[in-house]
Amino acid sequence: MSKVLVVDPSKCTGCHRCEMWCSLTKYGEINPSRSNVYVIRREPAVDVPVVCVQCGLCVDVCPVEALKRNGKTDAVVVDAESCTGCGTCVKVCPYGVLRIDEETDTAAKCDLCGGSPACAGHCPHGAIRYEDAGKAAARRREQWATAIAIKIS
Amino acid sequence: MYGYTGNLLRVNLTSGEIKVEKLDEKELRKYMGCTGYAAKLLYQEMPAGVDPLAPEAKVVFATGAVTGTLCPSGGSYEVCYKSPLTGTWNEARSGGAFGPKLKYAGFDFLVVEGKAEEPVYLLIKDGRAEIKPAKHLWGLNVEETTDAIINELDDPEVSVAAIGQAGENGVLYAALINDRGRAAGRGGIGAVLGSKNLKAVVANGSGGIKVARPKEFAEVIDKAEQWLKNYPFAAIPEMGTVGLLSGNNAMGMLPTRNFQTGFFENADKVAGEVVNRKYQIKRRACYGCSFGCGRYTAVSGGKFATPPMEGPEYETADMLGPICGVDDIEAIIRGNFLCNVYGLDTISTGISIGFAMECYERGLLTDRDTDGIPLRWGDAEAVVKLVEKIAHREGIGDLLALGVKRMAEKLGPRAEDAAIHVKGLELPAHEPRVESKALAVQYAVSPRGACHMHPNWPSTWDFQVDCGMKDLGIPWPPTGGMQDESPVKGVAYRYVALQGEISEILGACIFHSWGSEGSCLTPQLYAEIMKALTGWDVTAEELVTAAERSWNLKRCFNAREGFDRKDDRLPKRISEPIPDGPSAGARVENLDRMLDAYYEAMGWDRSTGLPTAGKLKELGLEFAVG
Ligand code: SF4
Ligand code: SF4
Ligand code: SF4
Repeated sequence: MSKVLVVDPSKCTGCHRCEMWCSLTKYGEINPSRSNVYVIRREPAVDVPVVCVQCGLCVDVCPVEALKRNGKTDAVVVDAESCTGCGTCVKVCPYGVLRIDEETDTAAKCDLCGGSPACAGHCPHGAIRYEDAGKAAARRREQWATAIAIKIS
Repeated sequence: MYGYTGNLLRVNLTSGEIKVEKLDEKELRKYMGCTGYAAKLLYQEMPAGVDPLAPEAKVVFATGAVTGTLCPSGGSYEVCYKSPLTGTWNEARSGGAFGPKLKYAGFDFLVVEGKAEEPVYLLIKDGRAEIKPAKHLWGLNVEETTDAIINELDDPEVSVAAIGQAGENGVLYAALINDRGRAAGRGGIGAVLGSKNLKAVVANGSGGIKVARPKEFAEVIDKAEQWLKNYPFAAIPEMGTVGLLSGNNAMGMLPTRNFQTGFFENADKVAGEVVNRKYQIKRRACYGCSFGCGRYTAVSGGKFATPPMEGPEYETADMLGPICGVDDIEAIIRGNFLCNVYGLDTISTGISIGFAMECYERGLLTDRDTDGIPLRWGDAEAVVKLVEKIAHREGIGDLLALGVKRMAEKLGPRAEDAAIHVKGLELPAHEPRVESKALAVQYAVSPRGACHMHPNWPSTWDFQVDCGMKDLGIPWPPTGGMQDESPVKGVAYRYVALQGEISEILGACIFHSWGSEGSCLTPQLYAEIMKALTGWDVTAEELVTAAERSWNLKRCFNAREGFDRKDDRLPKRISEPIPDGPSAGARVENLDRMLDAYYEAMGWDRSTGLPTAGKLKELGLEFAVG
């Protein structure tokens, strides 16, 4: 089974290093607004990294078939050659993690760095991990369940 | 330009003029940036004798090359100005998101001049700036101001640096608070901005920082991240800096009851362990920081209830706690919260209250002076009440708002020996009689007065940590121990001071730079980072020279204001032995001998303590001679 990115907001300190690593790796500059991982830091005390879950909803709506699934990583990747920057994919992404890059005028999204994600590899607190899909699913179940459980303490 | 944005923003609040100036790459490299370059700007642009609260006073918001980059300590910015509290050079550092966002908005420096006719705030976004009305914000606290600005701009990603009521009212140690709980704390920058009618500076931008050699940069940052896994002070973020309190107390170096002693009998009630177990909500980091020493806490009910808020840090916990004899942690968190929202430096606030308590004990202040509040050691409610009064300069708060040096001047000579400050800046929570004699020297010579931050902690060398200076000629290993006051250490003090100054001129936080090869950001590693980031062929030696330039220039700034060797003094109490506790008997005996050795190593004149003409020429600072 392939691997996916999984986040644990309770570990995130809101440092934004994942965003910086993403933009450095993808675009050779440090620029959190050109990142494909998004850290939402709000008050009071909200720090949540938001990543693409590679669900593929965007693939289906692209009118020119510029979004394709990569056979090796299962990541949904943008073919910049055919992308017209129309933004249909932006409208449909349920997590808001797809954007039109201002410099290239094409869709930009996480491609799992070809199988060695810079964000997960460098998160100082293990809040983003690149894990086996099965293990990640178990972790998500756990998070989901504890988040909605009634706290008795 | 790589690493830097290459732009300086100049805003004149009197005329409303806004200018963008291109920075000269050669000049930038000479000073490296941040406080080094700000020292050059203020030295050249602000003549001696300017009243820090007059429209003629200038303020420089400075970032460095590593601010907002992946450098693991790169979340800082510094506000450089002449302090109304001390009359000296001041640099107030803060983390949070403001520094990085100023750079993403397109500017390395912001120079604020003049005085607005009515309250304003400054919005800096994507290479442009706008002066916006702030009459509706005047009188609001920092949190309300931050919320109001975020709402009216409809942009939750902006970083807001604001003053509260303390700054508006001219409390001489009012702070500037960015991102709600991060303080450019010391020296009264809040009062300076208040005097300019500048309520807040707001930054955001989508510009990136260009990296000269991205691949090399990724490699060296990767190496830095690996090295920092061995960082000798790595335990700090687990508990936050407040976690240091118990250990310091056990060693008899927790300043207590206005530095009367170094041991607090009820320290376990206010220790980091309690904060973490009962009040911590979560850990939080400054923008870009891999260390993450900050935390959010709240007191959920009772008379000291607070909403979630950053802190308390070690300094604050001691200053609003043991320094005032207080053992109620909820009151400390409440006091911290109030300092954050009113915009007060917790260190000067705490000592001013502690000083008042000692004066009350000695009968120098009576109930008539204190609005009927008995200022007894350990009265938690009185402390919290006084924080309110200070921020509003109400009753006794008006006196306390002046800081201990001026308070002592008003209360007369008998108060003098209880006034714990250097050059007017109150001592922070590190007991110089015990912790390390290098710290005592640092307090005496630091350009902004008693300061544990600038440059960062020469005493680490005494802790048997070489900070990467071994290669650069530092005597190693340290001899004589931390309490040794022999002049032999002068050369080492010079080197470690400059090592610390490197983080000041690069825009880095002080954490991460204490250790050695393989465990911290040494000058050598900073040079590698700078090389890949800027494309310049930077060496560790070049960084040390730039640091020395900056350190000398700040000294020259103060010299023009009349400060010299006579002002490199410690409070009288520090030369007297600690009366009790684990460190009983410790004192600073030979400050003058240590100063002689330090000045000599710095190439400064022994009798005046000032840089010689030869030294300044050697550093390319001819303009500062005389
Ligand atoms: S690097 Fe990790 S801790 Fe930092 S913001 Fe990203 S997910 Fe959070
Ligand atoms: S970008 Fe959005 S829609 Fe597309 S795969 Fe990722 S999460 Fe799904
Ligand atoms: S896997 Fe790579 S592209 Fe995707 S968010 Fe992480 S760093 Fe960016």
